[in-house]
Amino acid sequence: MSALAVSLEAGRLTPRVWFYANYHCNLRCSYCLTESGPGVPRRELGPERMLALAREARDLGFTELGVTGGEPFLLDYLPELVGEMARILPVLVLSNATVFNARRLRALEPLADLPVRIQISLDHPDPVENDAMRGPENFAKVVRAIPELIARGIAVRIATTLEDPDAVDPAESERLCALHRSLGVPDEDHVVRPIIRRGRADTGDLGVAAGFEQLDPELTITADGAFASPFGPTVRGGRMDTDLLVTRTIAPLRRPAEALAGVVEGSPPGTDTRLGIR
Amino acid sequence: MAQLLDPEPAIRLVQAADAPLLARPYFADGTPSPITRSLAQVPELLDVTLPFIGAALGASALDERTKEIVILRASAVMECRYCVATHTVVALDCGLTAQEVAALRGNGAPQGFADGRERALIAWTEAVAAGRGSVEDACLDALREHFDEPAVVELTLVAATTLMLNRYASALRLPAAQATLARLREEGLA
Repeated sequence: MSALAVSLEAGRLTPRVWFYANYHCNLRCSYCLTESGPGVPRRELGPERMLALAREARDLGFTELGVTGGEPFLLDYLPELVGEMARILPVLVLSNATVFNARRLRALEPLADLPVRIQISLDHPDPVENDAMRGPENFAKVVRAIPELIARGIAVRIATTLEDPDAVDPAESERLCALHRSLGVPDEDHVVRPIIRRGRADTGDLGVAAGFEQLDPELTITADGAFASPFGPTVRGGRMDTDLLVTRTIAPLRRPAEALAGVVEGSPPGTDTRLGIR
Repeated sequence: MAQLLDPEPAIRLVQAADAPLLARPYFADGTPSPITRSLAQVPELLDVTLPFIGAALGASALDERTKEIVILRASAVMECRYCVATHTVVALDCGLTAQEVAALRGNGAPQGFADGRERALIAWTEAVAAGRGSVEDACLDALREHFDEPAVVELTLVAATTLMLNRYASALRLPAAQATLARLREEGLA
């Protein structure tokens, strides 16, 4: 049995492959891992390449796909692409949910019957606090978009990213949960995670430090190479970090997948230092 | 002869803190070479290239002195300052005299090699490094008088690997390691 098959079967390599569809974004969040924002280099993977890699991921034994960015839905082809990817494997798409105008919502409607979930960032129950981290009117756009998506039959998950999840005021936490429930998102579809001190978060002295030993190994494909985690292909000072780079080669997918499995299987057994961030 | 002045590299040399996962073992001792630090930008190539270089140029059936004569002379002919600097130190460490090293690094035909085996080796190395197309029969036959066929094959790979590294290091303007430059200054060969 190959190192890849062993890693996947034993659960040491997460069976999801992530794709950085792009790096540009309409927002410029204070803790963004990738220094995304308007006008940054797009670094698009492109739909044909993502589809080919998705098929190979399935053939290699991966069972789920993830799409992130940047803001992936700035790419007009994304809804159709996600639909095609979801016919290969279930897809989780990360979005800030601030670009869902009527045209984009219509384009998303065909996804309702497919195994697609959209994970949306919402950090605070208070609009002022939320928008301080994520930009003006973010809160209002998100709470408007979520019911629109759910009404169209699209599964939504909410991700809350906090400086210190353990230090959050219980009352504030309960207000946030009441909010997501009121928007139609149940507790099991709400995840809370720490800010990772990489990219703009590192520049701004925010979050917890995380390297390979702290992050779950998840093969992550970008236009610049394959990384060991979706928290890997971070950008600082305009330059891509390489400490979690696996290979520059992304196709065939077998090459970075086997290389990452080799690293995972070579890790010494013992203390589990991983943060379990979803 | 190639100048040993430290050039500015044409590319970024990866620091230990930025070393990709596959490259980490090569940074473990704290003093990765500029070749390692440059190749670390493409870790899947580092992971195959360094073991190959080690196998081709490191300890093997051929004695070290013979291999270093080929490496140093080819590097001098190719005017690769990185490889000349690096293998000047290696050649001294494996027993070549300062005079022999200076001769191999020089522009003219190296003098001071009394052994016919080594003279044939040097002439053949120059033909491989400087020539185009195949090596002339007379040059190859002279080599064959002293080396059997497996040795000729291995010497050819040593020379070819050196030429690859000569072009790699020169094209990327790799600087010699600081420890190498310090040793060259100590030996009066900087």
